Amino acid sequence: MIALTNLTKRYGRLVAVDRLNIAVAKGEIFGFIGPNGAGKTTTIRMMAGVLNPTEGAVLIGGVAMASDPVAAKRVIGFIPDRPFLYEKLTGMEFMRFSADLYGVGNGIFQKKAEGLLIQFSLYDWADQLIEAYSHGMKQRLVIASALLHDPRVIIVDEPMVGLDPAGIRMVKDLLRELAGKGTTIFMSTHTLEIAEDLCDRIGIIHRGRLVALGTTGDLRGTARLIEGDLEEVFLRLTGKETP
Amino acid sequence: MNDLGVLLRPRLLSFKNGSASQTAGSRRIRYLLFTGMGLAFWVGAFLIFYRVLTYFQGVEEFGDILARKLLSMVLLTFFSLLLFSSTVTSLSKLYLSRDLMLVHSMPVSGGKIFLARWLESIVDSSWMVILFSLPVFLSYGIVYQAGPFFYMTAGMALLPLCVIASALSALAVVVAAVLLPAGRIRTVFVFFGLLMIIALILVFRLMRPERLVNPETFATLVLYLREMGAPGSPLLPITWALDSLNAALSGFKGEAIFHLALAWSCAAALSFVLIRIAGKIYSLGYTKAQTTVTRLFPLRAGLSGNRHRFFERFSGPAWAFAVKEFRIFFRDQTQWPQLFLIAALILIYLYNFSVLPLGHTAIQTIYLQNLFAFLNMGLAAFVLTAIAARFVYPAVSCEGDAFWIVRSAPLSLRAFLWVKFTVYFLPLLLLSEILIVSSNILLQVTPFMMVLSVVTVFLMVPGVVALGVGLGAAYPDFRSENPAQSVTSFGGLLFMLLAAGFIAVVIVLEAGPVYAVLMAGFRGRSLSGLQLVWLVVSFTLVLVLCILAVILPMRFGERRLAG
Repeated sequence: MIALTNLTKRYGRLVAVDRLNIAVAKGEIFGFIGPNGAGKTTTIRMMAGVLNPTEGAVLIGGVAMASDPVAAKRVIGFIPDRPFLYEKLTGMEFMRFSADLYGVGNGIFQKKAEGLLIQFSLYDWADQLIEAYSHGMKQRLVIASALLHDPRVIIVDEPMVGLDPAGIRMVKDLLRELAGKGTTIFMSTHTLEIAEDLCDRIGIIHRGRLVALGTTGDLRGTARLIEGDLEEVFLRLTGKETP
Repeated sequence: MNDLGVLLRPRLLSFKNGSASQTAGSRRIRYLLFTGMGLAFWVGAFLIFYRVLTYFQGVEEFGDILARKLLSMVLLTFFSLLLFSSTVTSLSKLYLSRDLMLVHSMPVSGGKIFLARWLESIVDSSWMVILFSLPVFLSYGIVYQAGPFFYMTAGMALLPLCVIASALSALAVVVAAVLLPAGRIRTVFVFFGLLMIIALILVFRLMRPERLVNPETFATLVLYLREMGAPGSPLLPITWALDSLNAALSGFKGEAIFHLALAWSCAAALSFVLIRIAGKIYSLGYTKAQTTVTRLFPLRAGLSGNRHRFFERFSGPAWAFAVKEFRIFFRDQTQWPQLFLIAALILIYLYNFSVLPLGHTAIQTIYLQNLFAFLNMGLAAFVLTAIAARFVYPAVSCEGDAFWIVRSAPLSLRAFLWVKFTVYFLPLLLLSEILIVSSNILLQVTPFMMVLSVVTVFLMVPGVVALGVGLGAAYPDFRSENPAQSVTSFGGLLFMLLAAGFIAVVIVLEAGPVYAVLMAGFRGRSLSGLQLVWLVVSFTLVLVLCILAVILPMRFGERRLAG
């Protein structure tokens, strides 16, 4: 469902992402972890069509982002790490805006939008301007709007940032449920417990390169650790181990 | 004092490092463009003032009075600009800047934060007014053959004016921040500042300078000039500055120093009062300003996602962006005063045409009417450019941090830019046509000129709007706290230059053939074969130019934005 082939991004002489090759199957939850500045957000933005790669290709559901970005983006639900929204729209208006963008019909919009707003505890705020929302509420609105068109692929950058514990639990359950129904999820996170708990496979990126890929067990093998959690594996593979 | 230095250091370092983020090539181009434009404006202002003052010197008895009256009007304009600029700047620096949260979390007193911010505000709101006042004083110095003492006095008179304007504005802002309902501060002050500008324009306009060319009013003008010679109120800072400058021009050093001392002592006293008051209440006002913005008019009741049945037939990404654009534009309360300002400017524009002394000149009236109508096309297009610079050019930058929505949306950048174009094109076309038709009716032009004006404006508006959207997309500033200010950036200046050039070329291309048509009409002759060819070629070139002015900037903007 997702295929990254030799994906590279250079900023002048700095190589932010270096020849990344990843394939994610339908219904899989893929975790993407790495230290600060490793290239996670750059990769995610290239996958969402927000940034153009310097080299390589992004294929979403078999559609190349470079040649047909509109078709590729139509199947994606993108959730960025920071919920910057149109502050002068109300929550419901933003949902309507997203529905129009992704071709959600008028017939089903109202019911679906209200359902999502209730699910994300935003219904009572639906007619308030977004500028009055807290950071967590904005984050929940972004997630709700990204799910409005039933995307086949969800690309999410740090999904739990700004959410309260109940929100985190709800989003985790929701992602599992969606994956169970065949939605492919590509998720970057710093929270290793969430990655370990939620993801079928994990990729570790360090200095723009993919240094390990597989299940937690596979990663332990790559790190030459007999036991230990993802945190130890991560620290070993990224060379951040404390002596 | 050490805290103050620490608080000011990030600003100094940002200024120092500002150019590091640009390549050497683009830096050079920007410097050249800014320097060139600044220099052109500077030299232009100097030449105009020099010419006017030389002319005044030739007017017996009243020459000096006129020159000094002009100086008082210049100072009044500068002081009003300083008040307006200081109000907006201090409001932004003291209550709206993004870094305030960080600064207020530091172990520094509110009073010191205020002082650091106020000092920044003085510099930011004054430097441009000071810079562009220099040619005025230089022309006075040269025409009156004044010595170095005059120039020193000019500098020493301007500085306290800046401090006084900034202190008065900051005082009003700081007190209002405590008194006004939370979240209302920004709206109210932008209103206040712009109302002041409108009032100023109206006052200047109502002086009716056109009466100078009408000899019938000379009997009253003599009285008027005598009145103009009367001194201003001794309690006003402008009077102190004016008196010191007048004294310096006449060589009365002691008197000049006395008036300067008045200005400086007022500036010092006001600064002292401001710092004491702000030290007590600034933090309180800042806390209040953090509350959510309250709306002047509440949104209508009911979930606003519901749409009228009529609109339900429209959907799709382009429609989504168009609706979003309208909603955001009209909900942003800071846009409203700008709309009022435009309305005031248009009224003054039309009023000017209604008072043109067409019947009092020796030149043939019909010729003059058509000449004005022709020039009016250019003038209306320049007004359009000014409006586009404020609203169209920043349209892409206004997406701000939410631009990720555009990039990740299933909509091409080309379609996104065309949505922006359409949203601004229709109202601006309507506005320009209303402007041109009403001014032509006031001028009572011939039907030929009316049709020509309407068609030419119809062709020019898309070009100007496309230049605004395209260059705004090519040089976006998504990080700006106030995207409307992006028009003073490199891209904004480039837009204004290209738009002005485009309008000028269209007018020049049409001027020759139109003159031939008009003259042939007056003389009752038909156009010669050569003139007909000239007419066709010129108007074809205008058409081609107008089409290119739409296509090229839109493509350029799309390419740069995608890059």
